Amino acid sequence: MAERVFITGMGMITAIGDTVAANFSSLQQQQSGLGFTSYIDTIYKDILPVAAVKHSTAALSEMAGIIAGPAYTRTTLLGLLAMQEALQQAGIRDLQQEPAGFINASTVGGMCDTEKVYFDIIDREKKGDFLQYVDTLDCADCTQRIADKVGFSAYITTISTACSSSANALMYGARLVKQGLLRRVVCGGTEALTRFTLNGFNSLKNVDKRPCRPFDQQRNGLNLGEGAAYLVLESESLARENNSRILAELTGYCNTNEAFHPTAPSPEGDGAYTAMKTALAMSGRSTGEVQYVNVHGTATLNNDISEGKALERLFGAQVPPFSSTKPFTGHTLAAAGAIEAIYAVLAIQHQVIFPNLNFTEQMEELSITPETRLLEAPVETVISNSFGFGGNNASLVISKYER
Amino acid sequence: MAAISPQHTFDGDIFSRPLQTTDANLFAITAPDYKAFIPANSLRRISRLLKMGLTAAMQCMQHSGLGAPGAIITGTGKGSLQDTERFIKDIRQYEERALNPTPFIQSTYNAVNGMIAVQQQITSYNNTFVHRGFSFESALLDSMLQLQEGASHTLTGAFDEISDEHYYIKSHLGYWKKEMVNSAELYNHLSPGTICGEGAVFFTLTAAPSAQSYARVAGLRMLYKPTLEALTAGLSAFMEEKELSAKDIDLVITGRNGDSNFEHFYQQVSLAFPGTCQLPFKHLCGEYETAGAFALWLGAQLIKAQQAPQQWFPMVQRLPATMQRILIYNHFFGEQHAFILLERA
Repeated sequence: MAERVFITGMGMITAIGDTVAANFSSLQQQQSGLGFTSYIDTIYKDILPVAAVKHSTAALSEMAGIIAGPAYTRTTLLGLLAMQEALQQAGIRDLQQEPAGFINASTVGGMCDTEKVYFDIIDREKKGDFLQYVDTLDCADCTQRIADKVGFSAYITTISTACSSSANALMYGARLVKQGLLRRVVCGGTEALTRFTLNGFNSLKNVDKRPCRPFDQQRNGLNLGEGAAYLVLESESLARENNSRILAELTGYCNTNEAFHPTAPSPEGDGAYTAMKTALAMSGRSTGEVQYVNVHGTATLNNDISEGKALERLFGAQVPPFSSTKPFTGHTLAAAGAIEAIYAVLAIQHQVIFPNLNFTEQMEELSITPETRLLEAPVETVISNSFGFGGNNASLVISKYER
Repeated sequence: MAAISPQHTFDGDIFSRPLQTTDANLFAITAPDYKAFIPANSLRRISRLLKMGLTAAMQCMQHSGLGAPGAIITGTGKGSLQDTERFIKDIRQYEERALNPTPFIQSTYNAVNGMIAVQQQITSYNNTFVHRGFSFESALLDSMLQLQEGASHTLTGAFDEISDEHYYIKSHLGYWKKEMVNSAELYNHLSPGTICGEGAVFFTLTAAPSAQSYARVAGLRMLYKPTLEALTAGLSAFMEEKELSAKDIDLVITGRNGDSNFEHFYQQVSLAFPGTCQLPFKHLCGEYETAGAFALWLGAQLIKAQQAPQQWFPMVQRLPATMQRILIYNHFFGEQHAFILLERA
């Protein structure tokens, strides 16, 4: 029988905190990370709110223990900080002790820094320090710099499936463990705010000028965010041998494609429905055993209808409490799946359901509304959704650890 | 299988088509007739890499005749460069106002996968790997996991394009030769750098063999930034795991590319196979992140036909009479190394 996959360490940095504990504290205090940024050079910096990590790139560099040296992009530094915490929390001091994989996720790699010097780089008349960024444009750069800094060597790779990237990284890592290729794999994603992405979503008229309002009738788009999160996954046999502290179990997952439109889900939420249903079936839990759904909930017009319909189809009249934590962190794209997977673990650890901020008016298309209070309740099984461009849907089921 | 490459690989008989060469150090694909695969209204809207990827995927599905795959899994090092470059420039030119979102959408690395899914109405597992010289190899590994998990077949591919602008960017890293070298003479010019290439290759991978099968992927091993010792140890471990010795390998397809900075890795692997025929392929497709997919396509063609297109390999004295097993060894600028073992189906 395939091995069970346990979560034995977590690390993160987002607009609401530099660590997992700081994130939990902001969630409890209902403190949103949305605001305006000075870190990206855009005409929208005082117009479109974003959820920026509250440190300059130089400060992040210092926090991560990088003293000068070659170009570590903001993407890399955010990832490195989250990775350091995850390894520390899992008690892993030496990555060579057990062959470990690193499955990273990124949507635009080091674009955050590359875009600032791109026109210098392509100018044949110019030479200068900016040339240290020539190799940071792709998605592999951040993965390799993080891997090299902390010492991964057995297997590394990077996934890019837009907003579901790090959920797919977790899924792929779990499958490597289940099939016995690795016993330890660290999965997640990193994303820095960029002018490129902000303009991309803005050109699609998907960005709200106000703090986003998931599942609200008046919602008008998403806010972008940045951050990084990694989870250490271990096989049951390794966790036992190693006496690892088991935080939760990844019991189910599913990746499915909408096959509908490049940037929009089907109105009835076919992909979301199938992803949640299949992931739940794999976990061996019934719909009645799900106490919380951390929805994708970007607050775009299309996502929330489609995801809401999928919830109604799957759970019928008994839709469990659900909320989008995007009003806290913004939509962190490639990092979102891993950030929200950690929130799912926190919900189980602390027996609490996080509020969906900024909700006032029920959507006319739906009969359900998100949880708006910080709710103390028994939480043993959580579904976490991540849906993205290209019709990529991913659902994870995270459950309380039981022997 | 389907391959778009600088050679005439997409249609017709590869054994009769002439060797394409370039003197430009940049080897562009021989474009197929996209109109036969993509409706005219879409063709106008989509960019070059998307045409390449989608067309290779369509051709591959048609050839296999197997219907909807249980997974679509791809690798790309750079995604649609043309769209990324265009959106960066649009942002500057139009000062962030009234931008056309199309290049942004198409610049997402999973855009080709999304298009295949929409066009063929395939709702199953869909994933895209974007890790330089591990992009295709990770897609291959994921596909093998999918087949283990019960998928009857997968659509697995890789695609990368090059632009003049990006060629220039990568020249700062010493990727390309400073002197112009004819692609056919690549291996006679050992000097720093290589020649650049591009391509789109797709495979239908099945869990069970059939009369149509080209070859069996019998093993895959990736090594990240190995030292020479770690490379040798990795190769030995791989061969041991497969219970093979050097004499069991009839042909080594090698990623040699005339780059003196990293030639030592190829020499090291070649030492492990004394007397075994070594077939290079970068003079056919140039160097790019997912060139490993071209090598797999080539190996599968050879093993099925039990012969090689002679005109492509004037540098090889004698090919083995039979090819039961082919080992592919490739690396991307010394960082991501991969072995793929192919066996006769």
